[in-house]
Amino acid sequence: MSDTQWPRYMVFQQEGPDQPVVHNGTIHAPDAELAMLNARDVFVRRPEAVQLWVVLADVIFTQTQEELSKAEPVDQSTSQLVDYHVFAKFAQQAQCRQVGQVQASSPQAAVQAAIATFADKQPLWWWVFPVSAVHKNESSEADPMFSAARYKTFKDQAEYPVVTMMRELRNKANHEDTESTK
Amino acid sequence: MEQTHQYALSGYLIALADDELILGHRVSEWTGHAPILEEDIAFANLALDEIGHAKLWYELAADLLGEDKYRYPDQLVYFREPAQFRNLQLVELPKGDWAYSTLRQYLFDAFETLRLGALSQSPYTPLAEIAARIRTEELYHLRHSQAWIPRLALGTEGSAHRMQAALDTLWPYAQALAAPLPGEQDLHAAGIVPSSAALFARWRAEVEQFLTGAGLQVNLHFPISDLSRISHSQHFPALIHDLQTVARLDPEATW
Repeated sequence: MSDTQWPRYMVFQQEGPDQPVVHNGTIHAPDAELAMLNARDVFVRRPEAVQLWVVLADVIFTQTQEELSKAEPVDQSTSQLVDYHVFAKFAQQAQCRQVGQVQASSPQAAVQAAIATFADKQPLWWWVFPVSAVHKNESSEADPMFSAARYKTFKDQAEYPVVTMMRELRNKANHEDTESTK
Repeated sequence: MEQTHQYALSGYLIALADDELILGHRVSEWTGHAPILEEDIAFANLALDEIGHAKLWYELAADLLGEDKYRYPDQLVYFREPAQFRNLQLVELPKGDWAYSTLRQYLFDAFETLRLGALSQSPYTPLAEIAARIRTEELYHLRHSQAWIPRLALGTEGSAHRMQAALDTLWPYAQALAAPLPGEQDLHAAGIVPSSAALFARWRAEVEQFLTGAGLQVNLHFPISDLSRISHSQHFPALIHDLQTVARLDPEATW
């Protein structure tokens, strides 16, 4: 049986011009443009986004601290250097966030370069991927993609205090029950 | 603005709002039924946006008529009879398959984007401001529906067939986009709104080029006899029934 599942894309979001890009989630899409549109519809409910990135999940190379301790030595050749984005996860509950960029000849070498370059960081998990693998929105697209969320507060779950409302209704019902049995 | 224009504009806006409301309702019918989760969410967003646009136009119509901005839109949506709605038949047809809904969305979005561009230049500021705001969202809708057309039309044999069948059915209905909206003649003469016929000519050139580029054939198989917004299809009463039943159970309820 052929695999009809669409490829997986990682979605990264930047909430403000001076903010780091952070990993936000995963979506399936047939290609990068639809991944971008799906990412917007699924993840951008809050107005803070200024930029979205989608990256094919398969091109992201990840290494945990544990894997690193067992890793084979890496060929540090300086030929064919390409730019890599470096992301890192600092706590189990934290989002993977942008740390910086390095140049390397392979993903494994990019992780080594990241460790050398960002020596003060002690992440649980490194993520690296070529800068060229990123599909991002044009700045001219930002307004149609992100501005609507600013006044569409009805899309925000905080707009619906359902738990509080149900508690009040229950309390009221209980109260009426007690009154009627008196 | 002169009083006659105020009255004419309120009718014009109610027709625009009816298009958005009814299309939004049809789009909302995909919730839980879209072919993939991501598009299910996308269509739900789209439905909310269209209904939100309807609300903005109904509210402006209420202002122009001196009606209550909060109550009047609900009155129009929940307590009019089907024959009183002024939407195009294009937007009320049942949602069909996903190719059909996506193509309808594209045809409508492409026209709407042009119309909103013109309305955002209107000398009547409240109209221009709302049009500019809605247009920002329409640009995104258009990008979304536009992205899917070639992917389906040039996809598999099955998807291409469905897309062509959708176009054959929808194209005659889309001709009604050229018909003037209620009050348009006077409002256009006063420079307040664009001419639908002129927008249609631009739309048709743009859309035909795009669809042909996606390998589709644009044929006018049968003309629709009535392009006005007065008559509705056989499917419309059931849609309005779905839309209104709950509100009519208790007209005085507060939500």
